[in-house]
Amino acid sequence: MKRSTIYLLYIFFAAAVMGIAGSLTSCSSDDTDDTTVNDLEKPEIVDGDLPNPIDCQQYHRGDVIAFRYTFTDNAELGNFNIEIHNNFDHHTHSTSAGDCTLDPKKNPVSPWVYNQDYPIPSGLKSYDAKVDITCPKDIDPGDYHFMVRVTDKSGWQQLKAVSIKILE
Amino acid sequence: MKSALNVVRANQKFIEENFSGSLMQTLSRLPGVQAMNVGSGESKPVIRGLGFNRVLVAENGIKHEGQQWGDDHGLEIDQYAIDQAEVIKGPASLTYGSDAIGGVINLKSNTMPLKKFAGQVNLFGRTNNESIGSSVRLTGRNGKFWYKANATWMDYADYKVPADSIEYYSYWIKLKDQRLRNTAGREMDGNLMLGYAGDRWNTSFRIADVNAKAGFFANAHGLEVRLSDIDYDSSRRDIDLPYHTVNHFWVSNHTDWNWADGMLEGNFAYQNNRQRELAEPVSHGYMPIPTNALERSFTKQTFSANVKAMQQMGKHDLQAGGNVEYQRNRQGGWGFILPDFEQLTFGVFAMDKWNLSDKLSLTAGARFDRGSMRIHSYHDWYKTPLKASTSDSPMDGTVLQGTLQQGDSTYMERSANLRRSYNSFTWSVGVNRMLGDWVLKLNVGKSFRMPIAKELGMDGVNYNIFRYEKGNTSLKPEESYQVDAGIVCEKGVLSMQLTPYLNYFPNYIYLNPTPQYKEGLQLYYYTQAKVLRWGFEASVSWKILPYLKLDADGEYLYARQLSGEKKGYGLPFSTPWSARAELRYLLPTQNPAKSGFVALEWQVVGTQDIIVPPEEKTKGHQLLNASIGKKFKLGENQLEITLRGENLLGKRYYDHTSYYRLMGVPEPGRNFSAMVSWNF
Repeated sequence: MKRSTIYLLYIFFAAAVMGIAGSLTSCSSDDTDDTTVNDLEKPEIVDGDLPNPIDCQQYHRGDVIAFRYTFTDNAELGNFNIEIHNNFDHHTHSTSAGDCTLDPKKNPVSPWVYNQDYPIPSGLKSYDAKVDITCPKDIDPGDYHFMVRVTDKSGWQQLKAVSIKILE
Repeated sequence: MKSALNVVRANQKFIEENFSGSLMQTLSRLPGVQAMNVGSGESKPVIRGLGFNRVLVAENGIKHEGQQWGDDHGLEIDQYAIDQAEVIKGPASLTYGSDAIGGVINLKSNTMPLKKFAGQVNLFGRTNNESIGSSVRLTGRNGKFWYKANATWMDYADYKVPADSIEYYSYWIKLKDQRLRNTAGREMDGNLMLGYAGDRWNTSFRIADVNAKAGFFANAHGLEVRLSDIDYDSSRRDIDLPYHTVNHFWVSNHTDWNWADGMLEGNFAYQNNRQRELAEPVSHGYMPIPTNALERSFTKQTFSANVKAMQQMGKHDLQAGGNVEYQRNRQGGWGFILPDFEQLTFGVFAMDKWNLSDKLSLTAGARFDRGSMRIHSYHDWYKTPLKASTSDSPMDGTVLQGTLQQGDSTYMERSANLRRSYNSFTWSVGVNRMLGDWVLKLNVGKSFRMPIAKELGMDGVNYNIFRYEKGNTSLKPEESYQVDAGIVCEKGVLSMQLTPYLNYFPNYIYLNPTPQYKEGLQLYYYTQAKVLRWGFEASVSWKILPYLKLDADGEYLYARQLSGEKKGYGLPFSTPWSARAELRYLLPTQNPAKSGFVALEWQVVGTQDIIVPPEEKTKGHQLLNASIGKKFKLGENQLEITLRGENLLGKRYYDHTSYYRLMGVPEPGRNFSAMVSWNF
């Protein structure tokens, strides 16, 4: 083969490669424009009419803790989870949850462990979550963290931590 | 360069002039190569946006086996023991097998010394993490026998970021003196080689050990943001919990037999990689407080052997070879993340380079691989109550009853017994053409990667990053098709290089975040998606004057998922575009023993807004760096001093590919480093 022929073939091949790359790219950007079609926003946990629980609230063992928050998302909500664990070692969570008066540090004997997942009906952009959680009568009283997590359909997640105290 | 693949090389001079906190940070100055930073002294390799198990690191042709899959594990290699680094950009499974799907970094340390006796002593330090270190190298040759010995020691303090506090999971972590609490570390490496260089055959033995201990950022490791009773701020050089230790031990032999127009080569190695992660014991969910600090440990043993024959026949350079590798990994500690496994792989390949003329060559090759893996079952060491099902679907307005029904409890199984085997056929064809000042290259090939134990068998909480990860036993070997081109032109004072590529994965393995919860944490599961990637690197080097040089280079990468739940999204840790320009003035001397340079470098990195959950968009940034170096002659000896200033403007910026990015930790601030080398 002549030098010029190979050169031309090469240029042609390289151009074809770049052309394919370009057209595939432009196709995909037509179908799914980065910011308009892809959901790039996290869901939010907002106060409803009467947000509950809130920081530094006190409950007694056997009480019902009424969980009332509103979840919102730009596209579609996923699921939520409520988790309660002790803060007997003062490990703290968020700025807002850290400011309550804490009992002295202590070792857990029979701490309250609560961890439950809840579905949100499909297709919703806003959901008022209402869960009544009964505090068992036989758990260690003291400082607890109330963690709320919510996802949206695309897999984004938002968190909120609330500090509460359980009295005897 | 007569290969059809795109290969870049960095010699010892390059490594010395650009030395950074870790080997990968040094090599990340090569276009298309990036470092994924794990801390200030550790980082992992990324080539054209692919990292972890998609990049293969080899030492003298043998695959380096650490814990590549881990987010927080670096590369266990002494950068001062390396003579040359060779980076293959693009899939190279043909000669290297599985994992070379994104590229290969081959580090060479077995060049034979030329002098009867020579040595080098390096002293180095960095201001940002107050690191100090030293490396000593002795080499010698007596007739047909030679030796090389290296020892390196390094100690660094907590690194400094231009920030007074970090926001993580809505919690503000205050920093004392802008130091990233507990990121100090130390490293000690030793390396000994003994060789014989005969007329027809050569052999060399290498024994090496890399031992490192480094702290993790104290406030954002493990399951939640925690305060601790440990007084981290009392010293910035101490390493408190949480920290990790690693020891990588290596023994190998390289032997080759040469004849007039061919050679036979063999490499045999044993590696023992031992990682331990220690953290303050805490309870989580149903896990009680563990009795010790050993959160995780991994001991991986690897035996590898590869043999290669080369023969020239007329216009053909033929090559054929095979390799076998056996791995055994054992885990321990209270935080489960990876099951025990054994893995056996073998592969055979053949390739031909047909030299049609001095200026035109064609390359073609094919390879077959077979791998089998056995994963062991793992059960929690504590019991979890079996609770009543929570299938009641609440409607808006309904009040749910959140009382748990306590029943039996069990040691949950986190990984099941599993046996899997994979076959893979890969190939590659290429052309290399020289046309006057031009070199044109084109290569088309297929590469593959076997799924790893974590991707297949994981079923539990990832105690590092707050999520539940689920493996997928039906994963197929990941395949990649790539077209690579290279256009190189050298015309007098100008040299230019353009390396575009187009890459398609029919089944990229990806950890997909779902809207589901499992055991209180968001569920992520391994799945496979079609992925298209393309990009290029471009570089220009211009000798403006005999002693003044301008280098400019840039890289761009596009990646999109074309199928699956995240169709339209990019890939995690995608590298944004970047460009760099360097002006270098060389001292006007003909004597290389008295040479010197001054260089000013400007780097621009683009914004990354093509993200996938849980990533955050990362704004672009600009950096100004400078370096200066000079060699002095001291009788028969030589002294070399190199100074380097990084992020001179003290900019606060984020690196999209950094391990600490998700925690909102910015990159290190202004840094000055110095290296003094004495050669005798």
